[in-house]
Amino acid sequence: MKVRDLMRRDLTAVEVDTPVAQVIYLLHQSGLPSLPVVDEQGKVVGVVAERDLMRAILPGYVDMLVSTSFLPSLNQLSRKLQEIGGLPISQFMVRPVVSVRPEDSDLHVADLLIRKGLRQVPVIDERGRLLGTVRRIDVLEGLGKAR
Amino acid sequence: MILTVTVNPTLDKFYWVEELPLRLEEPEETVLIRSEKSSTSAGGKGINVAVFLAAQGVETVAMGFLGGHTGQIVLQDLLARGVSGNFLWIPGETRVNVTVLARGKEYHPLLIHEAGTPVPPSAIPLFLKKFERMARDAEYVVLGGALAPGLPVDFYRILVEKASAYGVPTIVHAGGEAVTRALPARPFLVKPDVREELSFGDMPVRTTEEIIQAGRRALELGVGACLVSHRLTGDVLVSPEEGVCFLEADVPVTEFRNLVGSDDALVGGLLGRLLAGDSLCQAARYGMGAAVASAKVEEKLCLDPEAIAREMATVSVRQVEGR
Repeated sequence: MKVRDLMRRDLTAVEVDTPVAQVIYLLHQSGLPSLPVVDEQGKVVGVVAERDLMRAILPGYVDMLVSTSFLPSLNQLSRKLQEIGGLPISQFMVRPVVSVRPEDSDLHVADLLIRKGLRQVPVIDERGRLLGTVRRIDVLEGLGKAR
Repeated sequence: MILTVTVNPTLDKFYWVEELPLRLEEPEETVLIRSEKSSTSAGGKGINVAVFLAAQGVETVAMGFLGGHTGQIVLQDLLARGVSGNFLWIPGETRVNVTVLARGKEYHPLLIHEAGTPVPPSAIPLFLKKFERMARDAEYVVLGGALAPGLPVDFYRILVEKASAYGVPTIVHAGGEAVTRALPARPFLVKPDVREELSFGDMPVRTTEEIIQAGRRALELGVGACLVSHRLTGDVLVSPEEGVCFLEADVPVTEFRNLVGSDDALVGGLLGRLLAGDSLCQAARYGMGAAVASAKVEEKLCLDPEAIAREMATVSVRQVEGR
């Protein structure tokens, strides 16, 4: 099967200047694990996932600790979120973009999703514009239907 | 690519019942009606046009506002039907519209429509930006259906102007002020929904003469063409190139099984044939065939090209004052 047989033609995306708070809202409302970030031509220039925003609000010192279970929260997370809420998502998106084309194989996209630790990957055309997305469950469901 | 905009989409719920008693004669009377069958689908004029075109193999993108769990169901249904979706998510739940059809009287549906969830002011500039990005690559833009609460009454005018700036023709398929306010922006075609008020702006459209007059007035404002339905089986198309086309389907209304969506099949069918190079009048004839075929099936839309072709045999066209 090809990516075109598995993909969802959901073009939900955010622009590079969309504020972080709005992106979080869209992630929540859409139920998507990540959102493509597009420029004015609709070209995918980045991807932002829940993980990236969570990472952005965690204090840097947590990397040095085995566990933070003993630390009081002190509202650090909500304060940090308030701090970055108005900033453009371009400051937090991940680049370069891992993407696939409609003619790519099911094997390629499945391998990519696992190898790169992604829950979803954008599908782009020859000009880099968003055509849809493929989630892990889309691959599994699509392959199951084809049997 | 065809871009459709449905700013107040709906989850369409249909119920088929044996009978529909609408009067409560006794005090404290409870009426329980068990439906024999029900169906659910994404709805709204623009969405229905998108679904029709996608089934004909036309690349279609649907835009609008969605919210909540019903919004998710609408999106999933659209994606499953081959339409690309590019909606802006807003708070609240996308509305549910109910149609109840009594066996043997499907031409008298009971419709219950919700107002729709309000669009927050902050969502409007985000939508307009998204719309501009999509519209510039479209061959046509279709603006369909009622405006959602919270949107300015001239919202369609704004969208027509934005599309026109990129040379993209727009079809406005809506009723009330939403369509009349869009006229000065000179859309390519308007298909006003006159079911509720039997008027187009301040012009009555109860007779064919009144429809022609209203259509001519729209053309004077710079609209490319005006298509108005009258009765269930007639349409009048007014355009500068083709004059007045009277389209009539020779079908008894008792053959109709579900009228919801048939108007949208008309627009979808017309647009599909325009893309294939037909004249506006011939495209409208095909659209009528699609509308009649859709009205004759229980599903909202008839997507079978052979069935549509069969119904075209029932559609006659009389053209006056044109080439």
